[in-house]
Amino acid sequence: MSKKKGGFWNRRRKTLFFIGAATVYLTTALVMGLLTAPERYGIDYSARFVPPCFAHPFGTDDMGRDMFFRSVKGLSNSIVIGILASIVSSLIALVFGVTAAVRGGVVDRFVNWCVDLCMGIPHLILLILISFMMGKGGKGVMTAVALTHWPELTRLVRAEVLQIRSEQYVQASYRMGKTWFQAAREHMIPQVIPVYLIGVILLFPHAIMHEAAVTFLGFGFPAEVPAIGVILSESMKHITTGKWWMAVFPGLMLLLAVALFDVAGENLKRLMNPNSGNE
Amino acid sequence: MKKKRTVFLWALVILGVMMAGCAKKSGGNQAALEGEKERTAEDAKGKDSIVCYVGHGFWDGSLDPVKGGFSYGYGFINNGLVRINAQSEYEGDLAESWEISEDSLVYTYKLKEGIQFQNGVDFTAEDVVFTYETVMADQGQNEKVDLSKVEKVEAEGKYTVKFTLREPFSPFFDITAQLGIVPKDGYDSAAFDKMPIGTGAWKVVQYDAEQQLIVEANENYFEGAPEIKRVTFVDMDNEAAFSNAQSGQLDVVMVQPSYAAETIDGMHMEKLETMDVRNISLPCREPGTITNARGEEIAVGNPVTSDKAVRKALSIGINRQEIIDNAFQGAGRPAQGWTSNLIWGNTKEYEDSKTEEAQKLLEASGWKDENGDGIREKDGMECAFEIYTPSDEQDRYMLAAALAENAKKLGIAIEVKQTTWDEITAKSYSQGVVWGFGQYSPMVIDNQFQSGHFGNQAYSNPSGYQNKAVDSLIAEAVSANNQKDAVAAWKETQSIYAEDYPYLYLVNIEHCYFISDRLDISIDTQIPHPHGHGIPIICNMKDWTIKEK
Repeated sequence: MSKKKGGFWNRRRKTLFFIGAATVYLTTALVMGLLTAPERYGIDYSARFVPPCFAHPFGTDDMGRDMFFRSVKGLSNSIVIGILASIVSSLIALVFGVTAAVRGGVVDRFVNWCVDLCMGIPHLILLILISFMMGKGGKGVMTAVALTHWPELTRLVRAEVLQIRSEQYVQASYRMGKTWFQAAREHMIPQVIPVYLIGVILLFPHAIMHEAAVTFLGFGFPAEVPAIGVILSESMKHITTGKWWMAVFPGLMLLLAVALFDVAGENLKRLMNPNSGNE
Repeated sequence: MKKKRTVFLWALVILGVMMAGCAKKSGGNQAALEGEKERTAEDAKGKDSIVCYVGHGFWDGSLDPVKGGFSYGYGFINNGLVRINAQSEYEGDLAESWEISEDSLVYTYKLKEGIQFQNGVDFTAEDVVFTYETVMADQGQNEKVDLSKVEKVEAEGKYTVKFTLREPFSPFFDITAQLGIVPKDGYDSAAFDKMPIGTGAWKVVQYDAEQQLIVEANENYFEGAPEIKRVTFVDMDNEAAFSNAQSGQLDVVMVQPSYAAETIDGMHMEKLETMDVRNISLPCREPGTITNARGEEIAVGNPVTSDKAVRKALSIGINRQEIIDNAFQGAGRPAQGWTSNLIWGNTKEYEDSKTEEAQKLLEASGWKDENGDGIREKDGMECAFEIYTPSDEQDRYMLAAALAENAKKLGIAIEVKQTTWDEITAKSYSQGVVWGFGQYSPMVIDNQFQSGHFGNQAYSNPSGYQNKAVDSLIAEAVSANNQKDAVAAWKETQSIYAEDYPYLYLVNIEHCYFISDRLDISIDTQIPHPHGHGIPIICNMKDWTIKEK
């Protein structure tokens, strides 16, 4: 399918389509979640365990809370964390990656050591440790997710900058008396931006997944906060009694968000990579 | 193609995350169940053997009574001197009769004769002395049976035991029901952790921690051998147990009240009577700090719940039955204090849902809704507080959430939170907490209402209740020299503190079990279940029978 060229769905169009779809989906979820009044997913004991129907498209749970609005609110919470984690992690990665590559020596060794340290511990365990240390809850999971997603991107940025720093135009700017910081800002960072942006986009679904996973395991958001992880772990208590809708729809929503971003990121990567960009 | 694979991979990841929780706990135990099935494919659920799931309580520690095993007040593998019967009264188990001296210091038990331990050794007074002295020698390893008030234990002849206490302590009698007697001849501390030997109706065949406990009928049990010959207890998740019951692998399965409305083919639901109540501590003190016995300064009190009008309004204004229906699918009875199935229970029942009276009470105390948001205020402070529930107990969260819904109509805003016990302990000084209590010993009143415990002992008197009359009545009850006077003092204590509403009693829960239709669990001889949903159903397992099909 992807071998066929010239059709309407070439890679550029597909990429744009997936990016568009992902953006629309996430923005809708985010905005809806932020605007939904808590009453929409409030307790209603007269309507508990209602299977999916017109009034409750995703059904209701054991306290009669509407699963659709609860899931949307949960996803929007996850997205907020995802955005925050992406921003923080990518900034750390950019600063660390560029500094390590440009300065070299002790700085480089220190950054590499930090990266190895972080990647040496299984990611989920590191997340749980940080979240637990910060007292769990929203603060804990936010800190944990934001502080643990930078190592891969740091390596990527560092490798790119290592290639660029010996280029003639960079050397020329040094000779003209620019400091390393100026050279990095004006000549190196603009070159790594494409790699960096793709990294950020691919990092985003990871952050969402990890937030849900940590919360699911009971180290993230507390039960009173609507979050996908909370919803999924609650639904596990009722799955044996046949309340399938409590797990399926929120799970699909999360899957869709993650998958859309993943596909968009992969396509974008091939499009922006000079070796495959002309396919 | 690659894209499809990626999507598929993500689907796997999500599925993995969803399954991680269940796989984590049930995996090993499912294997145990399967193993059991293979080993005894025919008789695990055969004509005279059953498989039960009664929660996680067995698996925490040693089965040895000397180290706190089976200290529930009824005999199982070992027997105590006395036991509790279906009317919540004490009756002799290994003891024939007993007497307490005038100065309440000497307890003399006359023992039954002709009883043998499962290893064939005769039971005599020496075994009682040995058991009590072993516990006293190392009280640290038994937190369930407190013998610190006992000065000495002596055998007088072969069948009489005399206990001498350091000071009058009426709850000692409860303790003699909790401590099972082990044989002096043949006691082995290490072996008894897994294979205790006693005089009881059941013998341990095999014990695998956190997996299974298999017991067999003791054919020489002094009250006659049980009709069921072999019982296997399995440990697994509540949800896994429910699934196993659905596939017909269990005869008894404990379920949470939220499952009470479900049905399983070939099984029926039993909601058993308990003395287990759920209450919410309402901090009685004004905000401030106190210094506890360890010299630590702690912030205590709550500006809203320290107003007695708020506490009383909640107690009379809410609709307990509606809360129970909403939170527990109706599995439970409204409670306003300790249950009447306790001999010392003395709760003046009153009608609740008196919304108007409660509203008047609040208004008289200055709580008025002036900004029209449905929540009352007084001097700019909202009539709101928090209730904490442990994150591993969904039922308490459901209960508190249902209460919060119900309190809205009184104009009181309650925010329900779930967290760890560590944080709950810290928060209990200044916010509400959902507690669960149910035991035969009236010492729970001392634990919950004696002013000296506040701030010094975790989980004790979390409301910070202070009342001199209550303190002195508790002291009187503890030092009483006979059951009658003690009970009278405990009863009076309850009627005094009831006026102050330091706790909001909500429900006397019912323990829910699915029971196989072929099994008769002899409801008539079930004792009212103490706290700890799960295990208490085995209290009369010796009377259970399998019906002919």
